Amino acid sequence: MLSVQERAHIAQVWDLIAGQEALFGAELLRRLFTVYPSTKVYFRHLGDHPDEVQLLNHGQRMLQAVGVAVQYMDNLRAVLSPLADLHAQVLRVDPTNFPLVIQCFQVVLASHLQGEFTVEMQAAWDKFLTGIAVVLTEKYR
Amino acid sequence: MVHFTAEEKAAITGLWAKVNVEEAGGEALGRLLVVYPWTQRFFDSFGNLSSASAIMGNPKVKAHGKKVLTSFGEAIKNLDNLKGAFAKLSELHCDKLHVDPENFRLLGNVIVIILATHFGREFTPDVQAAWQKLVSGVATALAHKYH
Repeated sequence: MLSVQERAHIAQVWDLIAGQEALFGAELLRRLFTVYPSTKVYFRHLGDHPDEVQLLNHGQRMLQAVGVAVQYMDNLRAVLSPLADLHAQVLRVDPTNFPLVIQCFQVVLASHLQGEFTVEMQAAWDKFLTGIAVVLTEKYR
Repeated sequence: MVHFTAEEKAAITGLWAKVNVEEAGGEALGRLLVVYPWTQRFFDSFGNLSSASAIMGNPKVKAHGKKVLTSFGEAIKNLDNLKGAFAKLSELHCDKLHVDPENFRLLGNVIVIILATHFGREFTPDVQAAWQKLVSGVATALAHKYH
């Protein structure tokens, strides 16, 4: 359950990302693949050395899904159900990878917002992204 | 045994030279206690931890954070022998403090996030990679003597 303040922090940070999902998404993936190279096994369709265009395209898809989650943060299970099916039946990403994406997401936010990335924002986003990961892996078995 | 390339060492020491250990330490420990409230279990004697602002302003949190990050600085001087450098602290965290090693990983990640807030664009993916490798190596070294 997200408190009123947590929802406000989530929405506030999203305002900075909205409209730039591709850029933020590409940076997220670049950090993920650089810091945690084993995660690349789940992105074989992007090739061994994904170029900028591929990162922007795929990054945009991922961040747009996060944007949907922000819009419907009271009803994640329903709104992310198709993505949960996808992850359970097709992608089958091992659950231990989600904390790695979350760490890289936080670093993206921190490096862009710098001093404005308050502890309350970090706490709200960590909780929110963890909640998304729980929903995406809930139908695994 | 974790091995750091020359570039990784440069990324680590170069950034560290510009870090205010006292400030960053307090910030790191404070954020750990706020973002992962169950970690407060080790700090019953620290007084007021009732809100984010109470935690971030708590003098005991700041002092202890500085102590923890100063010790991190020692790791950076011993990148080729993290296990040796942290052997005594590992025994302490197991035998006396009874800290779940998972907490070392959580704190390491928080330290990386704080560095990102300080250094912004300078904290590139490659720099992040070097630092994640370091915090992971320190966490492993601190868990090494657990029995």
